[in-house]
Amino acid sequence: MNRLYHSTEPQVMDEEMLKQAVGEQSLRDEARQLARQEGVLFKDVLSLRLDFQNIIRIDSLWHFENLRKLQLDNNIIEKIQGLEHLVHLVWLDLSFNNIEVIEGLDTLVNLEDLSLFNNRISKIGSLDALVKLQVLSLGNNDISQMMNIIYLRQFKGLRTLSLSGNPIAEMEDYKMFVCAYLPDLVYLDFQCIDDHMKELAELRYQYSIDELKQQEHLTQVQLAKEQAQQEELEEHKAAFVEHLNGSFLFDSMYAEDTEGNKLAYLPGVKELLQAYKDKFVIICLSIFEYGLKQQEKRRVELDTFNECVQEAIQENQEQGRHRVARFEEKHSLNLNTLRDESDLTNFETKIVEYSENITELFNVLMTLEMQLVEQLEETINMFERNITDLVALFIENVQGLMAQCRDLENHHHEKLLEIAISTLEKTLKGELDEDLPEDVRAVGFQKIISVGLLAVSKRGSCKRKLCAEISHLFVDKDTIVNAVGTSHDLHLLKIDNREDELVTRTNSWCSHLVDTIHKDEIMRNRRRVKEIYQYIDHMQNELDSLECSEIID
Amino acid sequence: MEVLKETVEEEEAAEQEEAAVRAERSEKMTRPMEVRREEAPMTQEMLRDLEKKLSDIDMAIPEKPLTFTKDTIDISSLPLSYQSNTLKEEHLLQVVDNFSRQYIHLCPDRVPLFLHPPNECEVPKFVSTTIRPTLMPYPELYNWDTCAQFVSDFLSMVPLPDPLKPPPYLYSSTTVLKYQKGNCFDFSTLLCSMLLGAGYDAYCVNGYASQDMCQMDLTRDVCPLTVKHQEVVQEKEKVPPKKYAVKPPRDLTSRFEQEQETKKQKETKAEEERRLREEEAHLLDAEKAKTDPLHGLRVHSWVLVLSGKREVPESFFIDPFTARSYSTQDDHFLGIESLWNHKNYWINMQDCWNCCKDLVFDLGDPVRWEYLLLGTEKSHLSLTEEEEDGMNDDDDVEKLGEDEDKSFDMPPSWVEQIEISPEAFETRCPSGKKVIQYKRAKLEKWAPYLNSNGLVCRLTTYKDLECTETLEIKEWFQNRGDMLELRHINKSTGLNIDYFKPGHPQALRVHSYKSMQPETDRVMEFYDTARVDGLVKREETPQTMAEHYQGRSDFLTYRHVSFGDRVKKVALNSAESNSRPMVKITERFAHNPEKPAEEDVAERAFLLSEERVQLRYHCRDDHITASKREFLRRTEVDSKGNKVVMTPDVCVSFEVEPMEHTKKLLYQYETMMKLKNEEKLSRHQAWESELEVLEILKLREEEEEGHRLTISIYDTKRNKKSKEYREAMERVMHEEHLRQTEAQLDYLAPFLAQLPPNEKLTRWQAIRIKDDCLSDFQQRLIDKANLIQARFEKETQELQKKQQWYQENQVTLTAEEEDLYLSYCHQAMFRIRILEQRLNRHKELAPLKYLALEEKLYKDPRLVEFVKVFDTRPGALAKVARAGNLPHSQASVPHTPSR
Repeated sequence: MNRLYHSTEPQVMDEEMLKQAVGEQSLRDEARQLARQEGVLFKDVLSLRLDFQNIIRIDSLWHFENLRKLQLDNNIIEKIQGLEHLVHLVWLDLSFNNIEVIEGLDTLVNLEDLSLFNNRISKIGSLDALVKLQVLSLGNNDISQMMNIIYLRQFKGLRTLSLSGNPIAEMEDYKMFVCAYLPDLVYLDFQCIDDHMKELAELRYQYSIDELKQQEHLTQVQLAKEQAQQEELEEHKAAFVEHLNGSFLFDSMYAEDTEGNKLAYLPGVKELLQAYKDKFVIICLSIFEYGLKQQEKRRVELDTFNECVQEAIQENQEQGRHRVARFEEKHSLNLNTLRDESDLTNFETKIVEYSENITELFNVLMTLEMQLVEQLEETINMFERNITDLVALFIENVQGLMAQCRDLENHHHEKLLEIAISTLEKTLKGELDEDLPEDVRAVGFQKIISVGLLAVSKRGSCKRKLCAEISHLFVDKDTIVNAVGTSHDLHLLKIDNREDELVTRTNSWCSHLVDTIHKDEIMRNRRRVKEIYQYIDHMQNELDSLECSEIID
Repeated sequence: MEVLKETVEEEEAAEQEEAAVRAERSEKMTRPMEVRREEAPMTQEMLRDLEKKLSDIDMAIPEKPLTFTKDTIDISSLPLSYQSNTLKEEHLLQVVDNFSRQYIHLCPDRVPLFLHPPNECEVPKFVSTTIRPTLMPYPELYNWDTCAQFVSDFLSMVPLPDPLKPPPYLYSSTTVLKYQKGNCFDFSTLLCSMLLGAGYDAYCVNGYASQDMCQMDLTRDVCPLTVKHQEVVQEKEKVPPKKYAVKPPRDLTSRFEQEQETKKQKETKAEEERRLREEEAHLLDAEKAKTDPLHGLRVHSWVLVLSGKREVPESFFIDPFTARSYSTQDDHFLGIESLWNHKNYWINMQDCWNCCKDLVFDLGDPVRWEYLLLGTEKSHLSLTEEEEDGMNDDDDVEKLGEDEDKSFDMPPSWVEQIEISPEAFETRCPSGKKVIQYKRAKLEKWAPYLNSNGLVCRLTTYKDLECTETLEIKEWFQNRGDMLELRHINKSTGLNIDYFKPGHPQALRVHSYKSMQPETDRVMEFYDTARVDGLVKREETPQTMAEHYQGRSDFLTYRHVSFGDRVKKVALNSAESNSRPMVKITERFAHNPEKPAEEDVAERAFLLSEERVQLRYHCRDDHITASKREFLRRTEVDSKGNKVVMTPDVCVSFEVEPMEHTKKLLYQYETMMKLKNEEKLSRHQAWESELEVLEILKLREEEEEGHRLTISIYDTKRNKKSKEYREAMERVMHEEHLRQTEAQLDYLAPFLAQLPPNEKLTRWQAIRIKDDCLSDFQQRLIDKANLIQARFEKETQELQKKQQWYQENQVTLTAEEEDLYLSYCHQAMFRIRILEQRLNRHKELAPLKYLALEEKLYKDPRLVEFVKVFDTRPGALAKVARAGNLPHSQASVPHTPSR
């Protein structure tokens, strides 16, 4: 790039430079004089101009928290960096630099106007965070891929774009392409796009754009769906009963349970399992519904509480404001008379009266506040009691339902054990024959079992290996009992875990809620007391200064 | 006058022709006036004689100069039904007479019934047939209250000739409407007719009422317009206390003290009430002192509306004089003799010892109400419950049978349809003005457009009963150009309040003032949506001006300006308006939700004389105190003589939540600079407001003087433009009509008439007719051309002659003669030219007209089948062309002489 200051050394931003830049910005003489006198805080600066400074590296900008406009044009910056803290930035000018890649702009969500004119950028990207972007200047760069334009489709607010001086601007379809793919654009390369042009472009690229639109639409729908699901889940989580509105818990019980899965292939177990699952899911659903209902109840409780507290505070504040307003009316009158008062004795009595007034106001305000504190404390305690009761009831009921689950599991376990043992006995005694077809009878026990299992499971030959695995469970009674036992234990564990989770989370939510309410109330009280003190102090000071001035006079 | 004339004539007759005409005289009396007036031609001597005599006569001026007597009615133009009875009516009268006889026999102690008084033509008519139910074409007259109001406004009241008896005559409603006056029976008959037409179940009542009511004396009533609506305090629904509502702080005041206080209050209240009661009793006594000796005997007629129809929930009375409704238990109504509608007549058989309070208006009950005619579908006895179920059907059947035998249905009304012209409807009161005297109030009404300032109603309230001391005046206006609707003048305080309808050029809504001088106490309210600056109200006192705003983008809601005393100005710049200096400007702003409360100014006061600016900021939601800032603008000079721009003591501020940047001098400096500009702006706006007040006052004065009335464009009678338009439309319609009749002119009629009638045309005849018609037309065209030509030639010749004469006598002519000649020439030339033009036009149009006629004839339905095949005759056109080929006229036109 052609630099104006070839001779001067490349610079890095530092405090000194920034101070100078800030100091030079004040507009009028008097204001500038004042600014020099007392200095300007960086965080009060709204706009900053740092052009033609031969800057090579952006730095030291983190103090400028409220900066809205930043000009860094005509420097030799090579990399966009150090702008992360300028979240309020609206206007950023980085034109005439040596930037090669767009980066480091991910936090600038308020940016509306971005100029990267005359740099060495070859690809448009990393702008996803800039949702409010309206003006984008990318002229005189190295952009050569038409596909870069499609990337800009996501900026719904983009109205002005300049790309002249790029390789793509040389292409014959360039204008048409841009108009077609960015239909909301109003100005391209500093020229207004006429409607005719837009129509033409639309006609020309209709098919590809339609396809693109369809894709975008699909992804959008997908996103919306996911979001809705996420929201629903959040809601359920708030009710502490997520994933209980189906067979999720039941499935998770069997997910890691290899033994149980194997045992499922025993004759009659499948039906048993199905019945068990149905019952289990019904209980889960009742827990779920109960949870939602309780959640609603808690919400209503909380809402009424908040409403009432707000009302009480509002009313109290209204009274307080009224008092203050009345006092102030009197006060301004008093001050006027005091200023005009010439008689010293009179003056002193007035001063005394006035200070008495102030004390009275202070007392009144404090009484009001104390009253409110008492009232609120009572209410909060009541609420605390109620909400804890509610939560306790909820937990109790859920635990009851969970116990039902456990009973079901126990019942199932017994049944399963029974079946398993009887099957074992049958295998051992060969009583299975009756149930099995003639040709199978000749085969050995293990085979028979496997065939029987096959017949039951109707899964075909692919499960033959599994059957073989199951068959080795039927070696003796201990093995089979152990297998069924482990499965049972696992299931119980899962149920217990879910219950524990629910209970702990509910309890923690409750205690957290109560804590925050208490804390908020304390904070409120402190703020109010502080405010009252401050006000009274101010009044007192004013009075004192008046006294002083009078004495001096 | 007419009465007077009558007596004069009588005297005259008595003197001159004494006995000879005496027999005739009585006859004359009964004849209509017009006839008599013609009979006695007066000579000058007679008149003089009369004058002398009249001055000698000491006439007692009758108290009511105009009684509504029969003599004033011209009965000759009344329709036949007024002057005679039909057979059916005769029959009805017989029935009624019969009934009346029975009634007198049965109830000898009751007064005779008011059944068939004679009408304006001395023909007895049954009262029910005098009611003519009519639905008026005005939507305003669809409800009973407006109807009654109209009747009471439209007619002027004439008292009964004998207050203790029903009137000797009962006129038709049309006559009453024509003369716009009547007694209570006329009033109620008309009102009843209108109410029945509008679907109400209404009845005329003949009964007894209080003196006030009979004489339409409202002086003891409170004017309904002065009665203030008592605001119904809606009790707020008590919201059940919420679950977590905080408990109110403990009440530490003494309950005993409270009780004592309430006791005391109660006592004072009781005292007050007692006093009031005494006063009232006193007043009542005073009123009772002048009780009416004829109380309970005064005959009155009013209207009863029964519940049921038109969603009337409860029966009530309407007094037709005052258009007020009363409950049937009202004290004013002392008894009912009979009542009737257009279908039947009922006699009250109930005792009226307790006024009308115990009367039951169940007309189907034959014990309470004796009906005259049987079997009108109305008014069944309201059956008790046990009877209702089973017997109803049988009853109906039986009744039906009975009805057929005995029922006699009422003949149709003899009265013509009641018509009220729109003009009369709008004028309302006779001659458009009406005055009603109320207790301590006087109400005057005028027809719209009668008063040039648009005044339609005036209510004057007085302090005393004698109506001498005016308390306040309310004037209602209509159709004012300045949209003035109501003016309220309070005489005791001198306060005038003008109310305007939307549409005043300055969006004025209410203007209350004591004088029209600027810089005095006044309040102006505005329609804020019509104003750009959103001004709602501007209050002024001699020293201050307060303005209230609404819905402004800068959130300004209030501005208060106090003015100082005017400085004596040097005479040099007297041309400039000497405005008062502003001392203080206070402005209040609503909270701008986009700004944080502690940075949003709530109130700012510019103390202009002290160069001080006070700012108060909005209070944050969770705070009770608001930030304040005070700037003292004094330019100071430091020890070195440099101007000190900003010192910390310039700005005194209190901040609820201290912020770092606001402590900076730079910030304060910038705020102050901004305030400086805003102060200038505020001053300017205040100055503009002052100017506006002056402007409005000027405008108001102009409007008051000009009082232009607006006329709706739909009012085609008054609106000049609309009138013209309407007339033009009518003219066009008329012309259109003429043209149409012309178009329907039958060309063939004279030719067809020559043929024998009722015979089918032969083809030969048809062609013949057509040819005849065409040739006739051709001849006419030629004749016309010849006529024009002849006139043209005559004109030309005359002119030439005159010219010749002029040439010969040119030398001897006087200037006058010459002028005469010249003007003649001028006119002649004009005539010639016109004739020439007409001739040319005729020549052009004649062939076309001929062709048009031919075409028409070909298409004529009577000829079409015969001439269809026939060829058009080319010769005809040539003939016409020949006919049009008239002598050339241009050549012989003489030249206008030139001097």
